[in-house]
Amino acid sequence: MERFDVIVVGAGNGGLVAGTAVAKAGYKTLILEKHNLPGGCATSFVRGRFEFEAALHELCDSSANENDNGVKSIFTRLGVEVPMIYEKTLFRTIVKGEDGYDVRLNSGYDGFLDSMEQAVPGCRESVKKYLDLMALLNEAQDYLNNGVPNPAKLMGKYGDFVRAASHSSDEIMAEFGIPEKAKNIINTYWGYLGVPCDDLNALHYLSMVESYVSNKPVMPYHRSHELSLALVKAFQSYGGEIRYNSEVTEFIYNSAGAAVGVKAGGKEILARKIISNIIPNNVFNISDETKIPKSAVKLANARKLGLSFITAYIGLDASAEELGIEDYSVFICNSPDTRKQFEDRLNYGMYVVNCLNNAVPGASEEGTSMLFFTLPMMPEDFPADLKAEDYKKYKNDYVKRYIEDYEKTLGVSISDHIEEIAIATPVTFARYLSTPAGNIYAYSNEGWDNVVLRTVFDNIDKKIPNLSFCGGHGIRGDGYSSAYMTGAMTAEKVIAELRREM
Amino acid sequence: MSDLNNIPRADLFSMFFKRIKAVKAASDSPVKDLDSYPANRLAKELHPECQHLKIKKIIPFSDDFKCFVFEGDKELGTEKPAWFSAGQYLVIAVEIDGKTYCRPYSIASSPRDTLKGEVMIAVKRVNEGIVSGYLLDNMKEGDKILASGPLGDFTYEPLRDAKTVIGIAGGSGITPFRSFAKAIAEGDEDFSLILLYGSRTLEDAVFSDEIKALAQDNPKITLVNVLSEEKKKGCENGFIGKKLILKYAPENENYSIFLCGPQAMYEFADKEIAQLGLRRKFIRHEVFGEYFHPEKNEDYTADIDAVYNLTVRISGEEYSCSCPAGTSLLRAMEAAGIKAPSDCRSGRCGWCRSQLISGDVYIPQSVDGRRMADREFGYIHPCCSFPLSDVVIDVPPVKG
Repeated sequence: MERFDVIVVGAGNGGLVAGTAVAKAGYKTLILEKHNLPGGCATSFVRGRFEFEAALHELCDSSANENDNGVKSIFTRLGVEVPMIYEKTLFRTIVKGEDGYDVRLNSGYDGFLDSMEQAVPGCRESVKKYLDLMALLNEAQDYLNNGVPNPAKLMGKYGDFVRAASHSSDEIMAEFGIPEKAKNIINTYWGYLGVPCDDLNALHYLSMVESYVSNKPVMPYHRSHELSLALVKAFQSYGGEIRYNSEVTEFIYNSAGAAVGVKAGGKEILARKIISNIIPNNVFNISDETKIPKSAVKLANARKLGLSFITAYIGLDASAEELGIEDYSVFICNSPDTRKQFEDRLNYGMYVVNCLNNAVPGASEEGTSMLFFTLPMMPEDFPADLKAEDYKKYKNDYVKRYIEDYEKTLGVSISDHIEEIAIATPVTFARYLSTPAGNIYAYSNEGWDNVVLRTVFDNIDKKIPNLSFCGGHGIRGDGYSSAYMTGAMTAEKVIAELRREM
Repeated sequence: MSDLNNIPRADLFSMFFKRIKAVKAASDSPVKDLDSYPANRLAKELHPECQHLKIKKIIPFSDDFKCFVFEGDKELGTEKPAWFSAGQYLVIAVEIDGKTYCRPYSIASSPRDTLKGEVMIAVKRVNEGIVSGYLLDNMKEGDKILASGPLGDFTYEPLRDAKTVIGIAGGSGITPFRSFAKAIAEGDEDFSLILLYGSRTLEDAVFSDEIKALAQDNPKITLVNVLSEEKKKGCENGFIGKKLILKYAPENENYSIFLCGPQAMYEFADKEIAQLGLRRKFIRHEVFGEYFHPEKNEDYTADIDAVYNLTVRISGEEYSCSCPAGTSLLRAMEAAGIKAPSDCRSGRCGWCRSQLISGDVYIPQSVDGRRMADREFGYIHPCCSFPLSDVVIDVPPVKG
């Protein structure tokens, strides 16, 4: 029987980083992936003369501090180098209707404040104070990472951390006196976390916004498949082994309830530690249920699944310039209010259209361009009675409405230029990722399941010995950088355990 | 003085309690399984990992051309064949002398036929075709066969393609067009199909009668037989070229051209189509089929008579075989009985994607369908890779 120090189940972003980190620490590591490609969502596909990015909008980099758990620091520590291009603008946001607006925001701290001031005169000071809160929040998190906190100090010096950690983004922003319109513009990014800002944790949202603003969003040149392959290369260079088409069909436990291995391809493979990049729900479904702590099952049942999407990948036979498409990211909303955007999600509430050629020059052949439509959908929105024979019509009709809305809103014409199109739906994601309901964001970060509580309770909740988790369902929530981060954090814990048990 | 002074700090604790309460109140019965979600159920139905089929009926047109109607093998878990999009194909796996051979076959039946529990492919004898010969000569009704789920993107896409499609079919390339025509007649596709069907004689033009019958009842379907070796009333004579396309194409309106047929047909038709000045988006080919004779390319400079060692790693096990310079790595593995994944065998689908550990391979540019990062990091499609030295590759295991 094969034996490894560590088995990583799933080669998504979290699994690849976790696997690479433990392999680099000298442990014999095996990554098992059910698909024939690494990366999970972080992949690409070819249609005709186009190579489409499957999922990435922009990486939330963190290059300012080399010792942090930002993408760049993680990659550097693992010896992974991927050439990236920085975006000059954060996004263009178009809100339709009477109180609507059409605003472009620059990236970079000063550029961002300048463009905010231009969009909403007089907002600069309040927005600046909001962004600057991040310095204290970072300091507080460092303090918390270094042992048991002194309650007086936490409530005193780091009182604003406690406040931001326990309130919604809307509540905190209101206190800074940020004008309504400026708040709404800053809230544009909520879709990346999937929870409207009246319920989205303030610490979580500010961390993301501040990082995009200060460190600028970045994109790899050759789609996120390049990120995944660079990680695989590093993993293999440390002696790690990765197997594709190798779905894990069972988690194996000993009589004491500790995870000791998995079954894949009909064979049992043992390991001292198992890291699951797949969502706990799926792990529990292929485990002896008596081995799963009741509290873990209750937690999984209590949680709500987060966003999924219908996405359209479109190759056009005209350049972005010829078509008059000027931006990389355009957020189109029918209301300035994020709650309304969320509620109207099936009816143009909020959707994103990216033109990769405007972020990565030469992303497709000269005289062509690519568009990526991201249309949010909650798991319960997918029609329960949709039949196989109606599926093609369903997805084409769905996307057609949005293409027409995009054309009307932007005043551009793309329909006649579609040379390639592929549409993915929760069915597609269910097929390739096997997530419950074909969901992408794993567990919703709403209400009590926010990142702060996930982090706090990660140390309190009862665990299955030798089994740990990383990925979008982890403590940092969804998104590339969050998944990479939880991969790095989980690896660190596993390495520490392995060293203790020597 | 902080801007946030009005925000109570104690809410941190009430937040903790909210979570504790929510988890406490939740059910402790096992989490819902994937089949309970509509999207996962539909994914399984539309994209089965494999289909266990049984031959329900064989329709012989000749010793060299037969249709195989399959039904689901319920005993092995396939209730009925999966729904598909007209124009797609199935990969059929057969075991011959202990070796597994896989080949893609376009689906000839309509998507709606799957609701009746049927799916049909057409098999034509190919020179030295191991699988076609085996299917034609050995398979009988009731025999079991393993097939893939429906695959391929030679499909009609309403947001991309023109409302009128000129179909250009040659020989057994008629197969997907039979499916398109039936799908139009049954209301599952909505476009006008003008089918230019090339064959030597009318007798060679299989499915003509059926498609003609569909055309009679449906103004969206037109069949034009184009005969190269006989003249017949109501048929065109010669090869399918620019003149014929223009004769049948709609005027002052965009049209798409869909081509499926043998290499020779593509070579001729592509030159003719190029003179029409159509935008690239309006011209779509079914995959070109397996690539032979890399030495015919100008950029191929190696010794075509050389024979190399091919070492194959699969899930930590190692196998080896020989591979002549003119044989694709996939064919060499197949001949040696080494099971490797493959679907389209034309460089496009990426299902055979493997890691090149060492050695050099020649990949004809016209069939290099790899991702950019795959080229950068040394991954290849063995179906279109020919050895230039001894080669070591890491191949994913065949699923299931």
